[in-house]
Amino acid sequence: MSEWLESAITRAQNLNDWLAPKRAHAIELLTQTKWPTRKTEAWRYTPLRPVERTKAGVVSGDANLSPESITGLEAIELVFVNGRFDATQSAKELPTGLLVSLGQDVDSAQQTVALNAFSTIKPERHLFGLVNDALAEDVILVSVAEGVEITQPIRISSLLSQGAESHTRVQVTLAKGARLTVIEDIQAQGDTLSTAFVEYDIAADAHLDHYRFALQTGTNVSIGGSHFNLHDKSKMHSSIVGFGSDLSRLDTDIIHAGEFADAKLNAIYLLDGKELFDLHATVEHAMPNGTTEENVRCIVADRARAVFNGRIHIHRDAQKTLASLNNRNLLMSDKAEINTKPELEIYADDVRCAHGATVAEIDKQALYYLQTRGVSRSKAQVMLNFGFINELIDLMPNAALAEWVRPIIRERFAQMEVK
Amino acid sequence: MTEQIDKALAREYEAGFVSDVESETFLPGLDEDVIRRISGMKNEPEWMLEWRLSAFREWLEMEEPEWAHVDYPKIDFQAISYYSAPKSMKDKPQSLDEVDPELLRTYEKLGIPLIEQQMLAGIAVDAVFDSVSVVTTFRDKLEEAGVIFCPISEAIKKHPDLVKKYIGSVVPKKDNYYAALNCAVFTDGSFVYIPKGTRCPMELSTYFRINEQNTGQFERTLIIADEGSHVSYLEGCTAPQRDENQLHAAVVELVALDDAEIKYSTVQNWYPGDEDGKGGIFNFVTKRGICHTNAKISWTQVETGSSVTWKYPSCILKGDNSVGEFYSVALTRGRQQADTGTKMIHLGKNTRSTIISKGISAGKSNNSYRGLVRMNPGAKGARNFTQCDSLLIGDLCGAHTFPYIESRNPSAIIEHEATTSKVSDEQMFLCRQRGLDPEKAVSMIVNGFCKEVFKELPMEFAVEAGKLLEISLEGSVG
Repeated sequence: MSEWLESAITRAQNLNDWLAPKRAHAIELLTQTKWPTRKTEAWRYTPLRPVERTKAGVVSGDANLSPESITGLEAIELVFVNGRFDATQSAKELPTGLLVSLGQDVDSAQQTVALNAFSTIKPERHLFGLVNDALAEDVILVSVAEGVEITQPIRISSLLSQGAESHTRVQVTLAKGARLTVIEDIQAQGDTLSTAFVEYDIAADAHLDHYRFALQTGTNVSIGGSHFNLHDKSKMHSSIVGFGSDLSRLDTDIIHAGEFADAKLNAIYLLDGKELFDLHATVEHAMPNGTTEENVRCIVADRARAVFNGRIHIHRDAQKTLASLNNRNLLMSDKAEINTKPELEIYADDVRCAHGATVAEIDKQALYYLQTRGVSRSKAQVMLNFGFINELIDLMPNAALAEWVRPIIRERFAQMEVK
Repeated sequence: MTEQIDKALAREYEAGFVSDVESETFLPGLDEDVIRRISGMKNEPEWMLEWRLSAFREWLEMEEPEWAHVDYPKIDFQAISYYSAPKSMKDKPQSLDEVDPELLRTYEKLGIPLIEQQMLAGIAVDAVFDSVSVVTTFRDKLEEAGVIFCPISEAIKKHPDLVKKYIGSVVPKKDNYYAALNCAVFTDGSFVYIPKGTRCPMELSTYFRINEQNTGQFERTLIIADEGSHVSYLEGCTAPQRDENQLHAAVVELVALDDAEIKYSTVQNWYPGDEDGKGGIFNFVTKRGICHTNAKISWTQVETGSSVTWKYPSCILKGDNSVGEFYSVALTRGRQQADTGTKMIHLGKNTRSTIISKGISAGKSNNSYRGLVRMNPGAKGARNFTQCDSLLIGDLCGAHTFPYIESRNPSAIIEHEATTSKVSDEQMFLCRQRGLDPEKAVSMIVNGFCKEVFKELPMEFAVEAGKLLEISLEGSVG
């Protein structure tokens, strides 16, 4: 076990609140867990040295941070600052049918319900999920009542000041036929460490639009997960945009727990410098007639490293499943690296599953063509890279978000010149 | 329909029998002494014994791999006998007439055309019966061409320089758990050397055969194709029925020097175990080849046997412009488990690799493709194409794909595709409408599914493979 984990466990043992039973369970599992090495499959390409060497710690007091605004987006803001819920910056008035509460403020009956729901969606194999179970203090519970459509998106921002450590947790429940958009966002200054987990339970006929932005770069350790549980005929559409950092790791788990559920996942990550980004996307088809479509695109420049693990698991009962995964990668430099592993594990026969993965560089002929038309090489590169990614941005259901993220990505491309 | 299935399911393993040849067999157990005795029996030089012993010491420190998608009872390495030789070998038969007729009958039962049919087929057979090579034919003709094709035990004595130089050069002693074990206790296998610029005048072939009960089979094959040479090597095997699981941990090393080409084809039909998966062969094989400049190695395999298969024929594409190919059909049924695939390690410029893998799962079996394509920083302009298709027959089996793709060179292009599907109702309907019974229809569809791989096999092998698949699929249709 690493020193870091030992100290995390000691800290967790000193916390005492309504989350105690969950915490105790996590601590028990953590003490049995081996610290991952290169031989640990889930961390094969992602060394944990940045965690072992982190300077981040608990920062208390006023941090004076507030979330960046997104033009054209009127969101219901939920703000964490250095891991603690910031009520002053968070939305005070909520539309009918939407309930947002802090775990310690609800009555004990509700707390019991929340405790039972914890980690039913997030898998217990997730090491840092357990760390989050053990260390998260402020937990936000979000629920949408039956049949209610919340038109305003919810934005969960986690803000970290220099050297801060943060462990945030949100539980989102969509009742039957409900509809909601959630944006998960992190903004961190240097030398931070965060674990940010959100669990979604999507009841029958409900529909979730989900966004996760991990645009902080630099000396940050940013580990998190978005975990979805889909019931009968529910739908989810997730869009992920990530830049790398010292260590960025995101796990998405999608469980088809009901029939005829539909999941879409579009992920983009753009890496530069010495950054690392690791996306583990797991889809569990436990019930029949589900559909899943995943598109993952990645561009890696300079000395950056990208890791992708896309696993689709079709259980014995999940007949008539349609699942596909498409992973495309562009390498922009001699020192950049891509490690990708699209996995299929299939135990039902009447299914159609496919995955494809490609790794290549920018099409030299296309580059040449643009140059012959008077476009400079660097501009041409940005254009081609953008074309590669833009398709997925176009698929974002929320136009305001797509328009907000587009220039950010364009700027990123301008930095990511071929070296 | 059900009657048909029951009948087909009750089919006995056709090659299932134990032949009665008196054998000299070591008592089960493994320590340095056993290794010294194996080496002693073979009159090996001192360096070989030292090599074995150092591998054994490495092996003791190693852990059994657990990452494969297979499940089997823990192997007791002390319960295995590490040497078994047909007794009649003591007098070293000089010609076929001197060979124990019981042995020859065994081969005949298996349909191995050792004598006349060999000549007609133009194949030289170095037949391995348990652990000692018994008969080598066509040696004269090969000698004329300068080709060395002999048991490796003989090569160790007659061509020590070649063996010393290349053994363990492709698969290092401590490469993996089973390879290390093989280094320590291998009993025999084939050695091939093709001289510079020579095209081997015939296809070389070895039939492996496991016979003695409780005898682990540890084959060691080393093929060296010198500059500009060409060889096609066939390996096929079948084994008699028995109750206890048998461990087979072979090592095959291929060395293709500049401009050389090696084609290695395997048809594997070892005993897969009974309905409950009991008694089948554990096949934990390490196969790897190294390609120097402009060289080519092509692996083709048809895997239908064994209860547990753990096998990844690989290519290290070291030289510029070298080519690696892997064509595989793996069929599992009953309780069989296969975890097989390939590794293509691109080191040189403009290296190319192609992977075509077809997995067919039936019954309660599990079939996994596990592959690695790695483009190292030096692999400028390298190219890989991978296609893995899985076919599921029945709803109790599993088909899995675990491809690892690692690229560190922007000019390298990797393409990977995988699909999983079942024999569609439309296809079946069409065939049955034309009067084919369900079994024939499935066999035809599966044959079509595997065509890309079969066409890579030498003709005789392709026929055998097609037939094998058909027999293996009997009883899987419902």
